[in-house]
Amino acid sequence: MSNPMEQFVIKPLIPIEVGGVDISFTNSALFMVLAAAVSTLLLAVCLRKRSIVPSPAQSVPEGAYEFISNLLRENVGPEGLKYFPFIFTMFLYVAFGNLLGLFPYAFTFTSHLTAVGSLSLIALLFNICIGIKRKKLGWLRTFMPRGIPMALAPLIVPIEMISFLSKPFSLTVRLVANMTVGHIMLKIIAGFVVALGVAGVVPVLFNCCIVCFEIFIALLQAFIYTVLSCIYLGDALHEH
Amino acid sequence: MPQLDFSVFPSQLFWLSVTFFAMLFVMSKIIIPRIAEMINLRREKIDDYLEKSAEIKEKAEEALERYHSALKQATDEANQSLQKTQQDLKNMIDRRQADLSEELNRQISEGEKKIQASKEKVMKQAEEIAAELAGEVVKKLGFKVSAKALQAAVKETGGEK
Repeated sequence: MSNPMEQFVIKPLIPIEVGGVDISFTNSALFMVLAAAVSTLLLAVCLRKRSIVPSPAQSVPEGAYEFISNLLRENVGPEGLKYFPFIFTMFLYVAFGNLLGLFPYAFTFTSHLTAVGSLSLIALLFNICIGIKRKKLGWLRTFMPRGIPMALAPLIVPIEMISFLSKPFSLTVRLVANMTVGHIMLKIIAGFVVALGVAGVVPVLFNCCIVCFEIFIALLQAFIYTVLSCIYLGDALHEH
Repeated sequence: MPQLDFSVFPSQLFWLSVTFFAMLFVMSKIIIPRIAEMINLRREKIDDYLEKSAEIKEKAEEALERYHSALKQATDEANQSLQKTQQDLKNMIDRRQADLSEELNRQISEGEKKIQASKEKVMKQAEEIAAELAGEVVKKLGFKVSAKALQAAVKETGGEK
């Protein structure tokens, strides 16, 4: 039986090194490119012919558009629509990263702490930038909420900082754990297929069910990742 | 666990940033405006239709009101002319009736006069006949009375009737 962890190994395809830092184009990077390209192209194809009465293809990007804009309106408020492109791209990027990973022999970059962590880092920096731009120095209030006595500052500020930084961390771990577990399960059950001979048809059928379930999980986790990002964005915009 | 291998972090961060921001750029510059354009166009069109339908409804209500007022006017006019005709007829009937009753009254009084005249005439004749008859009776009885006296006697008794 092959090692179920083998599928997660990152292999450099084109070694690149800049200033002593290894930024090789890896199989993970390939699937990042694919996630971005496939999602963009799919929407572009769906939008090729546009009409007032939407065709079935056209209603796909429009449905996604309405879905994300409602998400933003509900979780951030009307002013959140300014950040629509960021959240929209994030949702599609994660969703397609998850879905493309489900193809056999594909690589799931969303199962990597470093990849999702990078995305969460981008989201965190985005939130900090928006927060500072909106509230100027008042943004520092995030770590020292109004109405708390100064004497408690040494206690409150570190706690608030940890809570602030743990948000993207929990976001990352949730997505990574879900993706990793799903793929390990698929791999282990697939390993039984050959070992069981004729009875191997049972794990094959079981795997089919799991793949369907994993498609659901892929979309659900992308949705959760997006919703939580929206909520953190709302925190950055409003007093709490 | 390969997931916890942090040596690939620079490469992951670099490629994720590149792909994510490239996608963000394409999305915000091409895809999203194309979607938003169509949705806004549709919303505008729907709003336009709603506005138009409200306008048409208003026009229809106006027409209905005009119809009602025209109907009311026509009814009023008809009532008026009906009343006028009734009045005319009544006037005519009254006038005719007045004429007729005057004529009748005139004829009645004329007739009464005629009756009165013939009554007087008859009375006179009756007196003459009575006088003549009394003369005959007296003659037969063998008395001799002048015609003048007879006449006076008849007149006297005639008044006793």
